[in-house]
Amino acid sequence: MDALYAQRCYNCHGPSGRGDGPIAASLPVAPPDFRVTVQRKSNPQIKRLITAGKGIMPAFEPALSQSQINDMLQMVRFLSREGRDISWWENFDALVAAHCSIPWEVVLGYDEPAEEKRP
Amino acid sequence: MRLFGCNRVQCLSVVLTLYVASLVIAAPARGAQQRPVQRRELKLQIDDFVLTDQSGKDFEFKNLNGKVVIVAFAYTTCPDVCPLITAAMREVQSNLSAAEKKSVKLLTVTTDPEIDVPKVLANYAQRYGAELDSWSFLTGDEMVLKKVWKNFGVGVKRKARGLVDHTPLTGIVDPHGVLRFAYVGPSPDKNLVLKDVRSLLASR
Repeated sequence: MDALYAQRCYNCHGPSGRGDGPIAASLPVAPPDFRVTVQRKSNPQIKRLITAGKGIMPAFEPALSQSQINDMLQMVRFLSREGRDISWWENFDALVAAHCSIPWEVVLGYDEPAEEKRP
Repeated sequence: MRLFGCNRVQCLSVVLTLYVASLVIAAPARGAQQRPVQRRELKLQIDDFVLTDQSGKDFEFKNLNGKVVIVAFAYTTCPDVCPLITAAMREVQSNLSAAEKKSVKLLTVTTDPEIDVPKVLANYAQRYGAELDSWSFLTGDEMVLKKVWKNFGVGVKRKARGLVDHTPLTGIVDPHGVLRFAYVGPSPDKNLVLKDVRSLLASR
């Protein structure tokens, strides 16, 4: 998901979604700050913006799958929280990946044996 | 005079094509925002081509003979310089007088025909508020487009679906079909473009 954001969104929306990407200053209209705009929009509203575009923001529907658009939506929601940026996501992503491949009791350090192993 | 089996005109075309192509290396689409727009004067004959416009109709370049043509290369899902290029084209169009609009044509040629079918181009044009009387958005068969890209010296490299690296070229073609000015970069200065367009209109 972070690669998708880096490829398609980062240049304008920036590392924390505040509209401070590398080309943001050159744009005729300043990109929005996700902390303000995304917070007050519903998921369908955000998805519509991603799929149909707005102003000079591209309409991504022809290029991306529904699954990618959903990933993009989640990333935008993620960045709309105060203090989040893409480096935070990279750590979070690794944690999620670890949880998927390593037993939860190992990750969380349970002292007790797992429920199903009890006599 | 013949050199390497070419006549003088062919040699000149090859040299100019290589020169414009060299700008691909100098200013690829990604990261081009760090570089200022480069303006170059040149003389490169543009061959006729037939593509498809945003309404699905055939578009023949030779029908523009006698007009000054502003040509930009972009694709609709570009997250980089294309929005800047198209916004600059819109600025140029809105600053042309009614009389000038009859003698000037704007073209946006896609660099991603896989995504940019006529319907997608029509939506894109609408979002930018393009006046379609004097601005066409072109797509077509990839083999035809490749010839057009090559003729203008535009390098195109597909990276993923809807993600393409390409030379961010905006060119101005004179009424005789010769590419006279090339702007390579994200956002050509509208005043410079208008000045070049008007100089070509005045010299007709």
